[in-house]
Amino acid sequence: MSEHVGWAGRPRRLRRLDAGLSLLDRQILDRDGRLSGKVDDLELTPPEGDGSGPPVVTAILSGPGALARRLRGSVGAWLESVHSRLHPSAEPGPARIPFGVVKEIAATVGLSVRKDDLELSRFEDWTRDHIIGRIPGARHAPE
Amino acid sequence: MRLSELLHSRVVDAAGNDVGRVHDVRLVQDGPLVGTFGAAFRVEGLIVGPAIAGARLGYRRSGMTGPFLLAAPLRRLHRRVKFVPWDRVAELGRDTISISGSADDLDEPEPLPTA
Repeated sequence: MSEHVGWAGRPRRLRRLDAGLSLLDRQILDRDGRLSGKVDDLELTPPEGDGSGPPVVTAILSGPGALARRLRGSVGAWLESVHSRLHPSAEPGPARIPFGVVKEIAATVGLSVRKDDLELSRFEDWTRDHIIGRIPGARHAPE
Repeated sequence: MRLSELLHSRVVDAAGNDVGRVHDVRLVQDGPLVGTFGAAFRVEGLIVGPAIAGARLGYRRSGMTGPFLLAAPLRRLHRRVKFVPWDRVAELGRDTISISGSADDLDEPEPLPTA
């Protein structure tokens, strides 16, 4: 394992993890500890400059738009189709959480921002307002 | 590119020999600074091997020792798993990743400590 020189010139071990094992399917919690979805995929971006070299993890992708690609096959195609039909955007993509707002990676993935400040709930909000909310009795759900 | 585009891809060496499929993608936290997170993770390499039941159960980690009846055979199977450093990735295809050199030159992935 390579070492970097850290504070006071002491060698510091770099943190390593296997993305599939340690990140995929982990629960995401926002700043207030509210459930904010799961890590369904990661966005990998070529490094700045000529783009050569190892890609950098730039965002967590969450929700049906991300999960559909992982499932592949007919189930994945069906989920992507449903997501794109119900999503308010003309070209819906997965909900994207920039890695810069990630605070902690442990048993859960903690964020430094509130769930409402992210685009995570746009699909949920639209489905609640346009589909669930129109079912008779839906407005009487307890808080 | 997405992580899911790498996972499960077939990997072949320069001679066209099958190395296996991508079980996982190893990340190392030495990328550029991003927001409050600090240094970003970048891709260090691919964990590649034959299809193994239980590849995502964590038995590549150094602290996973039990239960013995499960750990022993899974550890033996994982000896056939190889680490492909990212600088050996020559071409990323739709479902196939080509690497430079021979599959025989690849080492086993370093076991990571349990989280």
